[in-house]
Amino acid sequence: MIMYKSAIFLFFIIVSTSNKYVIAENDEDTSTDLYVIEGKVFPWENGASNGWQLMTHVMANGGEHYGFLREDGTFIISNVPSGSYIIEVVNPNCVYEPVRVEINSKGKFRARKVNLIQTSQVIQVPYPLKMRPLTPFRYFQVREQWRVTDFLFNPMVLMMILPLLLIMIIPKIMNDPETRKEMEQLNNFTNYNMPEMSEVITSFLSGGEKQKSKAVKAAKKRQ
Amino acid sequence: MAPFVRSFRGNIHRFLIDVQILQYLIILVGLFNLSLCLYEDQVGKFDWKQNYVGKIKFASFDTVSAAKKIIVATEENVIAALNLKSGQILWRRVLEKGYGGQIRALGGVTDGDLVSVSGGVPAIVRAWDLATGHILHEWPIAEQNHDRIKDVKWHIKDGTLHHILPIYNSAVEVTSYDSKTGDKLKTRRVSAPFITQETECVLAAPYLACLKGDSSLAVLLLVHLFDTHSQPQSVTINTIFGAGAQGPYHLESILGEEPIISISADNNQRKRILLVGEVPVPIQRDIVGDAALYVVSIDNEKILLETTYKNGVTEIVASELLTSKPMPNISTSVTHNSLLSPTIIASVCPRQTKGVTCRHLLASEDHSVALLQHNKLIWAREEALANIVAVEIIELPMSDRDQEIETEFDQKESIDVDSSWDVLSMMFRRIGSQLKQAKTFLQSILSLTPQQSNQRMDLVRDKFGLHKMIVLVTSAGKLYGIETRKGEIIWQLRVRGIRGFSKRSDAIILYVQRGSRHFPYPPQCVLLAEDKQTGEGIVYTFNPITGQPLDGLVKLGYRIKQSMLLHVTTDDFLRGILIFDIRDKVHVYPKGATAIAASIAKNTYIFTADQTTGILSGYSLSYSTSQELISHKVWELLLSPKNQRITHVVSKNPIERVHSQGRVLSDRSVLYKYINPNLVTIVTEGVGHTHKNTLNLYLLDVVSGAMIFSIMHKRVRGPVHVVHSENWIVYSYFNEKSRRTEIASLELYEGKIQSNTTVFSSLTTTKLPIVERQAFIFPAAIESMRETITEKGITSKHIIVALANGGILELPWMMVDPRRPINPEVREEGVIPYMPEIPIHMDAIINYNQSVFRVSGIHTSPSGLESTCLVFVHGLDLFYTRVAPSKTFDVLKEDFDYYLIVIVLAALLISSYITKKLASQKAQKQAWK
Repeated sequence: MIMYKSAIFLFFIIVSTSNKYVIAENDEDTSTDLYVIEGKVFPWENGASNGWQLMTHVMANGGEHYGFLREDGTFIISNVPSGSYIIEVVNPNCVYEPVRVEINSKGKFRARKVNLIQTSQVIQVPYPLKMRPLTPFRYFQVREQWRVTDFLFNPMVLMMILPLLLIMIIPKIMNDPETRKEMEQLNNFTNYNMPEMSEVITSFLSGGEKQKSKAVKAAKKRQ
Repeated sequence: MAPFVRSFRGNIHRFLIDVQILQYLIILVGLFNLSLCLYEDQVGKFDWKQNYVGKIKFASFDTVSAAKKIIVATEENVIAALNLKSGQILWRRVLEKGYGGQIRALGGVTDGDLVSVSGGVPAIVRAWDLATGHILHEWPIAEQNHDRIKDVKWHIKDGTLHHILPIYNSAVEVTSYDSKTGDKLKTRRVSAPFITQETECVLAAPYLACLKGDSSLAVLLLVHLFDTHSQPQSVTINTIFGAGAQGPYHLESILGEEPIISISADNNQRKRILLVGEVPVPIQRDIVGDAALYVVSIDNEKILLETTYKNGVTEIVASELLTSKPMPNISTSVTHNSLLSPTIIASVCPRQTKGVTCRHLLASEDHSVALLQHNKLIWAREEALANIVAVEIIELPMSDRDQEIETEFDQKESIDVDSSWDVLSMMFRRIGSQLKQAKTFLQSILSLTPQQSNQRMDLVRDKFGLHKMIVLVTSAGKLYGIETRKGEIIWQLRVRGIRGFSKRSDAIILYVQRGSRHFPYPPQCVLLAEDKQTGEGIVYTFNPITGQPLDGLVKLGYRIKQSMLLHVTTDDFLRGILIFDIRDKVHVYPKGATAIAASIAKNTYIFTADQTTGILSGYSLSYSTSQELISHKVWELLLSPKNQRITHVVSKNPIERVHSQGRVLSDRSVLYKYINPNLVTIVTEGVGHTHKNTLNLYLLDVVSGAMIFSIMHKRVRGPVHVVHSENWIVYSYFNEKSRRTEIASLELYEGKIQSNTTVFSSLTTTKLPIVERQAFIFPAAIESMRETITEKGITSKHIIVALANGGILELPWMMVDPRRPINPEVREEGVIPYMPEIPIHMDAIINYNQSVFRVSGIHTSPSGLESTCLVFVHGLDLFYTRVAPSKTFDVLKEDFDYYLIVIVLAALLISSYITKKLASQKAQKQAWK
């Protein structure tokens, strides 16, 4: 029922009569006039559960004055002296943009966007306030889903698969005669090009024999 | 095929490079991904929240709505509806803080609507929906009379709100409003020329009863408020009490629907009742002075309920009001732990088919609320927890089995010298304890009943030291022990007749004298407070795990000015406390610790700060003898109370450890931190016209009295919150000029050379530190701030900030680092470039949507894990959770894939076997060829 109602309110623009009435004007001291800030809070379209009004209140200047929501979402903050107020909607589920409301000593209202860095910049917003939720709060991290790519790029899996690949593929490559030749060429090439000390000694000592045995092996394979 | 091989090689190479880049990336992300948030399935796993309403001020049963409930309004400015069956909060509305939201009247529940009057001048009238708690109407009362708001009486009846103000020496002004629209209906003046400032008046609607005079000639005057033509009726005290009653008299309106008042006489020894009506009817029966009265009506019959409390037994005696005929079927007597001299604040006695069953809502002296139904206590709420003044988090003791092992190695002191210890007896003890272990194991297997233990089985220390006991001291003088896993109250203890130190904004001090690590000795906590009557100091020791009082209440006989927990222990591991009285005399508690205290007196200093005089003084105990401690003033500083008022004196957490001594700069040199354990932050707010809206912050070395640093902010006002830790101070204030909350941070460095690498001495270090400072814009109002603390201080520090919108933010200190460079080209490791505004990340809100309101303090405590810090937030709600500022680097992640690692290992094992087999087969084949 409430959801239905709030939905209606979302679609219709409510013309709210801005009755900036002044209390206690009978008093001789005019500077102590108190004003009423009014506005309306809209629920998050889909998430407007029952009792969202109960979870929500409106706060001026971090708790100096409170405003509570009626069932239709409208609120008033009473007993506010002239000055500047940041109006925030406190709701644990949705983000609302705060609004700065300024009331001058003559009782004129101006609502503008809060800009804490450039405090002189004025972007006016309509008054009476219409507070609309920007987005629902996201308090939680999303747990990572199990994905194949994640699994494959897992270092442990990589550790397992790479040697496997090496074991499986390299003998296959070696079996191919052309590649073998090329490899040998490459080997010879590197052998002659980069005469490392140890290599030189090993080739000097047992180079011929190694070649021989390799050749024998290759011959065997060919059979 | 060659290109393939080459490209394959290249791939490996690239892959290696990629891995390196990935590593860098991970590190980078680790550095900059500062948000440490929960996963959604972790809700309620590490945290719990409890809601409270506070001490009940007004209450009434809602019997009109379909769902029966109890409506309460409290001292904490809360209006709430409680479930009749369970006492749970159905809905709760938190009004403005302090004076601006003070609830002055609550009414209209019997008419089906709820009207509250709250606030100062002008008061705000709010009408609430009984069932849902929505606001229906809100309007401010037009009357403005700042001085008289205390004398105003409110009466809410039939949708009309009456504002009743006695005007001295002339009349009573009654203004009636429509409670829904705020329309002024009528203003009446009922003549009452006898009312003066001293007249004691109570409301017994529709009458106002006033007591005139104090002697035996005192007269009770009754004014009908809604009949302007009527004359005040007068009843003499003698017609009520008969002759011989002695003053002073005291007038009280009896709660309930009927206009009945009670007058007490003979120094509150006895009281009598007067039915107020067209013809006032005094009841000629004496009632005990300390009985709490309530009048309830059953079928138009008025029943008087007298509640008395003696030796733990609460007795409710019912009698017919007019005839004083006792009604034993309604009278009850209850013995229950959570009742302490209770008074009935609301009662309802509906007639049912079985007969009359009464429900009484009882409010105890210790702020707890209970519902009594036909001599059975249905539920009780510990509302004292809404006003916590001191918190300590204490480790739980070891389990019985661990304790046995501990006793086994008990004689390790004798091991040291010449191995003369008895090997045989040790072996016997070991075998004995192992037999016992085997026995318990067998018992658990055979599911026999475990042997009776003097402790609850689950209240033992866990592996990571995460399960602890929170010891709470409330302003009502009630102590609680709450375990951290579920938030269950384990024990509660009442200390009667104490109050907080009135000079220190009602603070009660709680010290842990002995933790639970010294097994044969029980853990011990000590409470320091003031006596309610005399204002002299009291000491109360108790066991924080079981809640057993140890020495009982000790009256000290002097007023306490300052106190200190010694860092050395006596032979039985008890840390003594030094108490400094207002005549500058030093006492040690317990007395047995005097020798220990005297042995370190040469290096012991005490400082005091007086808010009223603005004098800060430092005392040295170096003149002490071994029998007596003598204090000697060494320095004094005056912060003139004409210009400024001391609001905060913040020292570092004494259990804090600083792990890293310096900070590595981009050129690989080290900037050493100025870590002075004696440094205290003093914040003063300007007073007077010229100094209004200024804020001063002083850093004072309280041993030498040296002023290390001071800063003044102009056009700035409170609320100020200060966090002081390691070598930095972070404080927040409201900038009047730019109308925003700002957080400023200071950081102190010794420079590139460390003056003394081993120990810091305030007396030898004369060089002033380098102070780095910076201010940031904070886009929310702050209620409270506290830094996280861990066992060894290796984990980076975060600041826990309670926001006014109910969130609790975990703000990395890195964000308020004063060395954040303004020039983006200057790069330092782990330093984010300066940005004026600190963003509030939603996933850093550690209490997600569990908003906590009216936060009064945050307590942090290290756990057994270096990475984890326990956080307890108190205020109107209690919230407990744990945070890991540098992520849980010392425990496996909760979602660690055990299966994956098992599968991978198994696969590796199997594949190695298979390949071995294959290889051998191949070798065999080749051998055959």
